[in-house]
Amino acid sequence: MTDDYEHYEAVVVGAGPGGAAAAATLADRGVETLVLERGVEAGSKNVSGGLIYAEESAPYTIDGLFSGFRQGATERPVSEYYIHNVAGDRVKTFDLGDVHHHDTEWCDAVLRRRMDSWLAERVHERTRETGGGLLSGVRVDGLLRDEGEIVGVTCEELDPITADVVIAADGVNSELARDAGLMDWAEPDEWFQGVKAVVDMDPDLVDDRFDVPPDDGVAHLFSGDLFDGVRGGGFLYTNEASLSIGTVFHLDSLADERAEPHELLDSLLTHPLLDQWFQGEYHEREYAAKLVPDSKKAAHPSPHQGRLLLVGDAAGQMQAQGPIIKGMNHAVSAGGLAAEAFAEAQSRGNPASAGALYERKLEDEGVMATLRPTRYRLTRAVSEHDLVTRAAEGVLDSAVGRAGVRAFDGLLERGFNSPFLLGMIPDTRTSYVTIPRVVAEELGEPVEATNDVEPPALDDRIGDLTYDVGEPHIELQDNSWAASGTAVTACPVSAREFGGGCYREETIRTNGGTERVVSLDTQPCVECGTCAIVADTEWDHPAGGKGVEFEEG
Amino acid sequence: MPEIDPTEHDITELGPEIADVDDEQELEEMLALEKGGEGREGVLTLIEDRLETVGSDEETVDPETVDLTDLSVADVANMVREVEDVEVLRDVLERETAGKDRKGAKSQIENRIESLESTGAESEVEYVPPAEKHPDLDHPTNDKRYVEGTVDGDYRDMWVFCETQRGELIDVSREMLGKAREMMDGYNDDHDADEAVVAVLIGDGVGDLTDECLAYGADRVVYHEDERLQRFRHRPYTEIFCHMCRDWAVDWRDYHEPRYTIFPATNNGRDLSALVQGELDSGLASDCSGLYIEEADISNPAKTGAPGETTTFEKVLHMKRPDFSGFEYSTILCIDKPHRDFHPQGASVIPGSFEMPDAESEPDGEVVEHDLELPAEWFRIEVTDFDALEGGVDLTGNEVVVALGRGIGRDPTRGIELGLEFVDAFESADLGLSRGVITASYQFDGHVADYVAEERQIGESGQVVEPELYVAVGISGAVQHKVGMDESDTIVAINTDPDADIKDFSDYYVHGDLFEVLPRLTEALEAGEFDRALAAEVSDD
Ligand SMILES: Cc1cc2nc3c(=O)[nH]c(=O)nc-3n(C[C@H](O)[C@H](O)[C@H](O)COP(=O)(O)OP(=O)(O)OC[C@H]3O[C@@H](n4cnc5c(N)ncnc54)[C@H](O)[C@@H]3O)c2cc1C
Ligand SMILES: Cc1cc2nc3c(=O)[nH]c(=O)nc-3n(C[C@H](O)[C@H](O)[C@H](O)COP(=O)(O)OP(=O)(O)OC[C@H]3O[C@@H](n4cnc5c(N)ncnc54)[C@H](O)[C@@H]3O)c2cc1C
Ligand code: SF4
Repeated sequence: MTDDYEHYEAVVVGAGPGGAAAAATLADRGVETLVLERGVEAGSKNVSGGLIYAEESAPYTIDGLFSGFRQGATERPVSEYYIHNVAGDRVKTFDLGDVHHHDTEWCDAVLRRRMDSWLAERVHERTRETGGGLLSGVRVDGLLRDEGEIVGVTCEELDPITADVVIAADGVNSELARDAGLMDWAEPDEWFQGVKAVVDMDPDLVDDRFDVPPDDGVAHLFSGDLFDGVRGGGFLYTNEASLSIGTVFHLDSLADERAEPHELLDSLLTHPLLDQWFQGEYHEREYAAKLVPDSKKAAHPSPHQGRLLLVGDAAGQMQAQGPIIKGMNHAVSAGGLAAEAFAEAQSRGNPASAGALYERKLEDEGVMATLRPTRYRLTRAVSEHDLVTRAAEGVLDSAVGRAGVRAFDGLLERGFNSPFLLGMIPDTRTSYVTIPRVVAEELGEPVEATNDVEPPALDDRIGDLTYDVGEPHIELQDNSWAASGTAVTACPVSAREFGGGCYREETIRTNGGTERVVSLDTQPCVECGTCAIVADTEWDHPAGGKGVEFEEG
Repeated sequence: MPEIDPTEHDITELGPEIADVDDEQELEEMLALEKGGEGREGVLTLIEDRLETVGSDEETVDPETVDLTDLSVADVANMVREVEDVEVLRDVLERETAGKDRKGAKSQIENRIESLESTGAESEVEYVPPAEKHPDLDHPTNDKRYVEGTVDGDYRDMWVFCETQRGELIDVSREMLGKAREMMDGYNDDHDADEAVVAVLIGDGVGDLTDECLAYGADRVVYHEDERLQRFRHRPYTEIFCHMCRDWAVDWRDYHEPRYTIFPATNNGRDLSALVQGELDSGLASDCSGLYIEEADISNPAKTGAPGETTTFEKVLHMKRPDFSGFEYSTILCIDKPHRDFHPQGASVIPGSFEMPDAESEPDGEVVEHDLELPAEWFRIEVTDFDALEGGVDLTGNEVVVALGRGIGRDPTRGIELGLEFVDAFESADLGLSRGVITASYQFDGHVADYVAEERQIGESGQVVEPELYVAVGISGAVQHKVGMDESDTIVAINTDPDADIKDFSDYYVHGDLFEVLPRLTEALEAGEFDRALAAEVSDD
């Protein structure tokens, strides 16, 4: 039966950095490669904060695979890196330059629409040479199996395709990883939710207000009590003619606190500290959101099954090193290694060994050790324990703790700058909220500015996005408040008391009483993946080319 | 000195420049210059990359002597692709087996041997007529591959099937005629010929459309009318078309079959095109979006009859069609083989691919009625019933549209009832809904449930209406709703929230609870006092 289908040596699903790296490496090794991407154009579905790192120790870098990448696809190099600890209007700033530059060959800010479409053009040229190519507007909707073995993929828009290897670089909420049973979407504590606004700013104003040369840029991070106790932080990166400003929160914390992501973003945008950069002007180009896996918990130690190899977010390979977010670079490394593994396995006449070889390469190249540090695993059990958290909070807030913070001023900055310590940071309130807050209270200076910009309301943010509405792609399995109510707040385009979101709270009359339920309309959905985890849904991506289309990403 | 001194250029300028340099020597010099200068990392990589590409082109390995263990499987694959001599390949295979014995490498070599031997074989095979090839069969000419197997037939003209619906030409028929005209004008010029565009009309009462076909570009219109042909049917339509263009003895049709045929890629056109082209013994390029006539150089031995030779085929219809949902285009050519013709060269055309031509006001041309008794046998399949697709609710023709939003959430069934009562009090009115209502989990009682459906949705992904009066009841006025109604002459909003966006684009804003306001307005309307009642409700804030 499967003999009738079109066959390629390799099928790569997804044209993000992971897919692009895999496809380019396969093509360079002469493997016939077809790349399938669901967006109308590569990048139209993707969101990043956007700092892409080229690490000195990495087996692959994006410019190593695509010459001219920095000239053609990025915004500004990021040479300076600061974190602002915030308590009310008091702020204490640390320079995190050391940890930012540690193991870093270069680091540029990117916008994904531009970056991914630039990559896709080259991927298409190179894979075409092998007899394949890149097809956009095609959504892969499952694995093709023959007698239980994975032999290819099925698509919504095309006939099934068979392949000797399927590289799933389909990002967070990978439908292929789910289909293979390699990833489940069950535990909120394995994920972050990232929300971001791209804000218009003239290049001259960027140079001026951030005090950077025209071809250079800066990163500012924010933590402390800005976010109603939700664990996470904010970022601001300079682009060529815009700013990327966003927040990244632990999904479990966001869900538990019933926080509204767009309001948390607004808390950052309207903080007095940002007035020095906005100076009363604010024009938002795009509002976007996406889940981010936490490799410390989610990185699959053995990301393959039969002919299927997972790379990048699909395999949970997204490293949050304290405030530093590294996903794109690891996706590139993994894509390169997976491709290399297949090419080698194939030339040894044993393509079936590609998965095992890939796994070994991830270990040998140190990628796995970076993604799932043993020291985190060892300290987590103790430091994330509630009691320890409470004790630590108590100490920090006590006179003694505060005195300690004051005494350790310089040391603290050094501590933040240690990649080793960052890898050990427990995921608790203490590290995200309390330490920064106490630091700011004890060491910070008040910001003497008023920031009166008004970010757009949620309905205008939705109204400014571009959608090509198709069939509903998410189905509510259980619309009770208990099962799915969290989505009303956690969905970045829904909110309580807002009728225009995806998830809305409703009260219906039942015989004898009333019941609190939620209803779902997928039209405003930005495909972030949150409700796949926090609500009881049957969650798929929209058909190829359908759904939201990001212009910036 | 190389032509470009890299040290004098920006890296961004250099990228494209370097890509054009093919000379290894020159690149080496450039590399040296840059190293002697700033030694910019990016520039060095650019030049080195280019050197590698250029260098690799020229590097040739001798398959007879090369040490195979030095080559990767891909290298082997590339190498054998160039080798034409089977003996050399067998030797390579032996050496590989004796050496690393890589399965991948061996299969590459074996494949190459096989492909050389099989093409060789094909070139030697003599043409055997079907009768000789299958002496055991009764009807060897009925070989599955063709009906007639005409060789060197006479072909002329471009035939265009003009589809009609409800007694009118559909747009794509006009588009095809325009395109056919343009192509055949070019053809006649290029070949100093006088071949025609022939329009084909089949149906009931299609005689009325012949002039229109001439006006859009036909030289000759052939039509067949019969009331049994009112709806499209496979058998008679196919038989008539084929009879017209292949079997019909008329003086102007002094050829075997048309040179070209064009059909619309509509539901009916797709069926007909496949049936006709099959019956006429040719192929079909379906769903095309581009057509042009040009010569083509072909080296495929199946077509030229002589391996290694390239033959120029004249007057080839190039048929472009989108593949992979428009991501790639293929150009399909339908070319005769040495022992079998492939004519007519036929295509079906996606509606909207070609421009709508201007109709000529006084066209000249010839109209011919096709005279043929249609055997009853062709009509054995009868159309007993047909149904037009459900049109759904059309809200556009109403003077008044009353639209309900999530404001009805407190008691959804009652809300719809109140809306319907209000609607009924107008002469020409209907009920619309915001999307917010349609996608809610509200539970409606049976008698109103049918009203809550997407066919009543107003807005970006619903209907766009411009009635004289639009009443937005419990609707916040999201932009996606607004685009469906803000061209209405008068807009009245009823809402409990004075800050709702809808207020900004309403002519009258009633601040109040719809469950109270609607009954009052309905009553006033029935009493003929709507204006006064509305004026009383409208708030001035
Ligand atoms: C707000 C935010 C800030 C971030 N900041 C940073 C940062 O500063 N630095 C950093 O390195 N990383 C950052 N990340 C993480 C980074 O974006 C990801 O780790 C990275 O994009 C992963 O790359 P990938 O190739 O694995 O997947 P993706 O980039 O997500 O690409 C997956 C691709 O697959 C396609 N696809 C998905 N499903 C299908 C299907 N079924 N069929 C066909 N195609 C499909 C998608 O359209 C997409 O193009 C951030 C993420 C967010 C959300
Ligand atoms: C891509 C896309 C396409 C869309 N297409 C459409 C479309 O075609 N059509 C469409 O309508 N929407 C569309 N939407 C949805 C749109 O954004 C809004 O969500 C929707 O229109 C909201 O419906 P609503 O006004 O009924 O609900 P809400 O926004 O919840 O407004 C309810 C209003 O009722 C008022 N109210 C409450 N109680 C009462 C009461 N008792 N009496 C009076 N007033 C009361 C409230 O003050 C509020 O203003 C689309 C969205 C997207 C993202
Ligand atoms: S509906 Fe679900 S996937 Fe869509 S934006 Fe909301 S939370 Fe994200």
